[in-house]
Amino acid sequence: MQFPEAPGMGSVGVDDLRGGKPRYRHLNTQAEGTLMRRIAMLVFALFLSGGVSVLHAQDRQLTGRVTAGETGAGIAGVAVSVRGTTATTFTNDDGSFTFRVPNRTVTLVVAVIGYRTQELSVPVGQQTVQIELDVDALALDELVVTGAATAMSRQVLANAVSTVSDEELDRAPAATIEHSLQGKVAGAVIDGNSGAPGGGVQVRLRGVSTINGVSEPLYVVDGVSMSNAAIPSNQNAVTRAGAGSNASNNQDAVVNRIADLNPEEIQSIEILKGASAAAIYGSQAANGVVIITTKRGQVGRPRFNLTQRFGVFDLSNTLGFRQWETFDEVAAFFLDPSESTAADTAAMADLYGSGQAFQHEELLAGRNDLSYETNLSVSGGNEATRYYVSGLVKNDEGVIDNTGVSKEALRVNLDQRLGERFNLQVNTGLTHSVANRGLTNNDNSGTSFYMVFPFTPNFVDLRERADGTFPANPFERSNPLQTASLIVNDENVWRFTAAGNLTTNVVTRPQHELSFILGGGVDWFNQENDLFFPPSLQFEPLDGQPGTRLEGQANNLNANISANAVYTFRPEGASWSSTTSGGYSHLDQDLEIVRVEARSLTGGENQIDAGTNIQVFDNRQRTKVEGVFVQEELLLLEDRLLLTAAMRADRNSNNADPTDFFYYPKAAASFRFIEPSSWLDHLKLRAAYGESGNPPLFGQKFTPLDASTNIGGLPGLVVVGTTGADDLKIERQREIETGFDATMFGARASLEVTYYKKFVSDLLLSRSRAPSTGFTTEFFNGGKLETQGIEVALAATPVRGPINWTTRATFFKDASEVTELPVPSFRTGGFGTALGAFQIEEGASATQIVADISEGDSSFVATVGDANPDFKLGWVNDIDIGGFNVYFLWDWQQGGELINLTKLLYDFGGNTADYDTDPQFVERIGPVEIMDTLTLGERRVTGFGVETRPYIEDASYLKLREASLSYTLPEDLVQGMWGTGVDRIRLTLSGRNLLTFTDYTGLDPEVSNFGNQPIARNIDVAPFPPSRSFWLSVDVNF
Amino acid sequence: MMTIDRKRSRTAALPTAMLAALGAFAAAACGDELVVPDFNNPGLEELQNNPTRAAVLNAAQGLLISSRAQISSANGYVSLLGILGRESYNFDGSDPRFVTEMLAGAGLNASSPAFGGNLWTVRYNSIRTANVVINALDGLSDNDMSPAEKAAVRGFARTLQALDFLEIINTRDTNGAVIDVDRPASEPAGPIVSRDAVFDHIESLLDQANSDLAAAGASFPFSLGAGYSGFNTPVTFSEFNRGLAARVAVYRGNYGEALTALGQSFLDTSAPLDLGVYHTFSTGSGDTQNGLAASPDILAHPSLDDDAQMNASMELDARFTEKLEVLAAPETQQGISTDVGFLLYSGLGDPIPIIKNEELILLRAEALLGLNMPEDAADDINFIRVNSGGLDPIANLGTQSADAILDELLYNKRYSLLFEGGHRWIDMRRYGKLDELPLASTGHRVHERFPVPEAECLEQTGGETGICSAGS
Repeated sequence: MQFPEAPGMGSVGVDDLRGGKPRYRHLNTQAEGTLMRRIAMLVFALFLSGGVSVLHAQDRQLTGRVTAGETGAGIAGVAVSVRGTTATTFTNDDGSFTFRVPNRTVTLVVAVIGYRTQELSVPVGQQTVQIELDVDALALDELVVTGAATAMSRQVLANAVSTVSDEELDRAPAATIEHSLQGKVAGAVIDGNSGAPGGGVQVRLRGVSTINGVSEPLYVVDGVSMSNAAIPSNQNAVTRAGAGSNASNNQDAVVNRIADLNPEEIQSIEILKGASAAAIYGSQAANGVVIITTKRGQVGRPRFNLTQRFGVFDLSNTLGFRQWETFDEVAAFFLDPSESTAADTAAMADLYGSGQAFQHEELLAGRNDLSYETNLSVSGGNEATRYYVSGLVKNDEGVIDNTGVSKEALRVNLDQRLGERFNLQVNTGLTHSVANRGLTNNDNSGTSFYMVFPFTPNFVDLRERADGTFPANPFERSNPLQTASLIVNDENVWRFTAAGNLTTNVVTRPQHELSFILGGGVDWFNQENDLFFPPSLQFEPLDGQPGTRLEGQANNLNANISANAVYTFRPEGASWSSTTSGGYSHLDQDLEIVRVEARSLTGGENQIDAGTNIQVFDNRQRTKVEGVFVQEELLLLEDRLLLTAAMRADRNSNNADPTDFFYYPKAAASFRFIEPSSWLDHLKLRAAYGESGNPPLFGQKFTPLDASTNIGGLPGLVVVGTTGADDLKIERQREIETGFDATMFGARASLEVTYYKKFVSDLLLSRSRAPSTGFTTEFFNGGKLETQGIEVALAATPVRGPINWTTRATFFKDASEVTELPVPSFRTGGFGTALGAFQIEEGASATQIVADISEGDSSFVATVGDANPDFKLGWVNDIDIGGFNVYFLWDWQQGGELINLTKLLYDFGGNTADYDTDPQFVERIGPVEIMDTLTLGERRVTGFGVETRPYIEDASYLKLREASLSYTLPEDLVQGMWGTGVDRIRLTLSGRNLLTFTDYTGLDPEVSNFGNQPIARNIDVAPFPPSRSFWLSVDVNF
Repeated sequence: MMTIDRKRSRTAALPTAMLAALGAFAAAACGDELVVPDFNNPGLEELQNNPTRAAVLNAAQGLLISSRAQISSANGYVSLLGILGRESYNFDGSDPRFVTEMLAGAGLNASSPAFGGNLWTVRYNSIRTANVVINALDGLSDNDMSPAEKAAVRGFARTLQALDFLEIINTRDTNGAVIDVDRPASEPAGPIVSRDAVFDHIESLLDQANSDLAAAGASFPFSLGAGYSGFNTPVTFSEFNRGLAARVAVYRGNYGEALTALGQSFLDTSAPLDLGVYHTFSTGSGDTQNGLAASPDILAHPSLDDDAQMNASMELDARFTEKLEVLAAPETQQGISTDVGFLLYSGLGDPIPIIKNEELILLRAEALLGLNMPEDAADDINFIRVNSGGLDPIANLGTQSADAILDELLYNKRYSLLFEGGHRWIDMRRYGKLDELPLASTGHRVHERFPVPEAECLEQTGGETGICSAGS
């Protein structure tokens, strides 16, 4: 079997023009004086070199047609280009093209997404050409990013890079882009933090990379570093969640802002999972890099794509309540015989009434209002100008009253050829969303919905009265139905991203290609949190300050500039080629958060200045990163051997010395055996090594004085207790990765197996000082961590023909170990050992959970679990039968433990569904069965403080993440009814999270009270309940 | 378009241009633009190394804030010491340790930052702030700040630093504390020294401060705020300084010194009893609110109702009726109940006394009693009984036994200084009377002192010695 040569590496043009991924990626910028001068110099250099053009020899006319191998139908939009020139054309609707090419033997490169790329030699004199392309069902030929400005065919790649295409992304509507990646990427643990509409999802690539540093991957969208900041709403001012033993304000059910991306606009997502692939992103790449490419215009007439969806969200799980059989049972539990009077008993009897059981959870979260989504895009253009415009309007109605997300998005992507040598890309995206997220997660004020239910027996009627008022909850400080009905907790986000790239192909000759790519872009968002708690709420007057109005304003600007050069050398007649690239990038991230808390609202007005107790908070964080890199990629032995070496140097303003450069080398090699056996088309062995960094958090290097407080209006500066080390610097990650890729059975199956190991050193740690120094905490670098794992990705098309069946499976597992810790073992996250905590300890897994346990008469702290799953497995099936398509995705997580504190709360309230379950068998002595004297719930509560294990639960689950059934109307029917103006109509029934199988007794094993965390996820405290969604969609292409 | 020889320029000029451009980027990369300041806070080192008059004065005012830290919070100085001295309870349902650790248990826990390990760190933050201020003065020229102004700042800072040390040793007592703290930030902590050494240090600070104040001219170069109203010039502030010195002298049993200091303090039987220096609070943005007012869980000990005396008209001690109320229904938590609540600190802006005229009079009574002048002591005690409590004077009090007079003195200190900073617990400990405090339940006990916090112990001793253990 003949493998086509990989498309020319490093040249910018072919794939770029055909609407695929641009080959250049870059970091960032800012606009300051010195920098502008440097850019001006570079632009000058660009134009200088651009002036040197290559004149054409005589041309000839070439006509041809590109068809699909299986059906013989013409393929539209195929890019046909001549290797070694900038000449490119595109096929029209029936697959044919006409093209002027040099009058010599030329190599045509024929490429389009979804088909295997083909190259063929056309000798002098040949006027016509017929080209048949094979379907690339397994995406063997896709281009994958290898550098800031280079890409390469998956065939030769030396790293395991996962890619997810638009077709794989939009099978079932997802709240955010991360949801649509769940179960599809080997090495990525993607877990929601709760069922709240609008997002809050953590993506962890290749296990643990840090303990105290940033744990989010870097998101690069069309070359612009996009903020994934998670900014709390400050509902904490009312829930007082941070007033307990964990002061974190991340308990606000926070949305990480990558949620703003519109999945419909995305062409593909590439995931560089570790330092070995992402080293050229330097100090930002410790947690991997997610490279997102939005859709671009395709040459041809305007093609419209309309998708209309209607759906509903439906509560998918409840916890239930203890069933009270008799009033005696109620009295025995709630009334203390030594204290209570006859009046107390009468009052309780009155509350109990007839003992009717109310389903509070369904009353709160039983809503099934209609949700909708409308997406319209148009794409088209000619060889000079191409456009892609997309608009989105959607509204997801949450299962709880007054919750949901509405979102509008607009994207305009333009490609413009400027003369023969310049190509300009402009990408702009605007999104607006309003999320109403209810009041969930931990509290210390009896206000969060699922913090109230544990203490509210189900005989209490909380329902709205006929006059519109709600009864007070006699067992807690709030009535969740009233709270849901009256509060405002809106997150209103505007986001604008714009990126521009100017590419010039300075030299395009068969042997030499040189191009410069100048890029710049901004990503800006404003997040406004409007929260209002009117005085009529049951809990509002309790602090003597009726009514609370909270306002949060967060503004973030990421500004990027980059300049890259790529030089490809392909000696005539030689069996090797070389691509050299280098570049400069600058990123400036600037985030400011201003919050106002107004309490005791005059007249209960929903107005900040109606507050009589007003507090203002301000925080600003800014980080600048500047880097340069060089990279050499050598493709030898007729593309069988790839050798890559690269070096990035960057400096980061969060380091104690911001002028100090840190160096991140990378080296990789792959070797391909072509058809080593009859069934094995192609076997590739690969190995890669790379380094990356994780910078200190903003502010950690400083020894601050607090200037934010005053006394009676008198300002003052005070020592606050943290000191930064003079040499605070990045954490260093070194990663090795090795594996093999195989293609089998005539490209019917592919297998990718990868082993990796990460060595993280100079961990960012804090050490406690003797407080008598006036300081409590000092940040420093020290200690080591290792994480290793394997990843397997299998894809196959077992059946092809009238029935097409494509199946993909991913399997991966990883484990971490803290190998060196220069400070005593310490706990991170959680609420202390009585409630389960994470303990960082030398020789142990970084994600181990410790808790109080008892054996015999002694109670002590011991390891009781590990949040990290044993393995994850995703399985996608995609079956075409006639006009029908059946698709489903199973997502299986095995192992990992969760800390179920919601259950603990229910136990404290004597309200767990199984609280009253009969005593358990303890032991058998002879013929006698010894039974526990306590019920299940009583036994668990009795152990509080000495035995935490009943609340440490297995997090294994199997979810039917996505399923769809679609039907494409027959072409003749469509054209019979609507004429030739309509290309395709498809009807789809789809659903997300339709089925969940788990032994976990909480609402959903995907949960994190503290949001996205490096270590301390998997803590369940009163989350927003989970839902499944069902959708009916119509897609019309015209 | 350039009209140079293209064939040659392609091979030579282009890479040169590219390299020149990249080189320009690298060369210009001197890195200054990478410097990002701390937008949220001024730097400590800046104040130490390049002090300005304005910054030093701001830091001096900062002492008003740092000395107020954790005074009024639900687990602050007033509340926790109030619980130990059986003045108050905290029935916070979400934290059982207000009962399990504070009232019961083997002892206070050095590793619980909110309880046994509390009331240490914030005081040393404040002490560090005072040293930063004092040291920064050396970096200011006489033109920036006159010697008299510097003396005023020094006298103020040392007085508040002495107050911080006093609050530390009040909680740690015989466990001792660290006094060698004026070290560079990077150096390890000084040793833990005995209670006596700490008291010596406090006396020395107060005396140095008083000398500074004598040289300080007519006014402070900064504002002391409403809490120091009447004590905001070096002369009047010195009377506050002497008041603190008198309290320390009485605590140490140096009654003669105490009387001397009281003579130089603002003690004045013709002035209002609540004349004094206060921590102030407000709901202004960035200010601190009186947390004792905000918490509905903070309640008074029921013995206050039982023990309050009445006058001949069967009127309850006015201090009870002004500061406390009997609740309509008792509140219960973990089997403990009380039917007495606080009227004190009803507003988020209510001040908390640091020291007041009423205490000075009672300190004088105590000193006189200690110097075996019971008649004079009795006069002061009766003065407070009548003028503060609305009670009848006790006839012939001065002729009763020293123990009886002491008990009466302690009764008056209890109600006069109720819930103002652990006076009850400290006084009863000084006289070995902690076992006389009422226990709500068997198994309860009165903890005698706070342990040295775990974080301090780990660095100081590896956590081995008794001062670090949970022992009370």
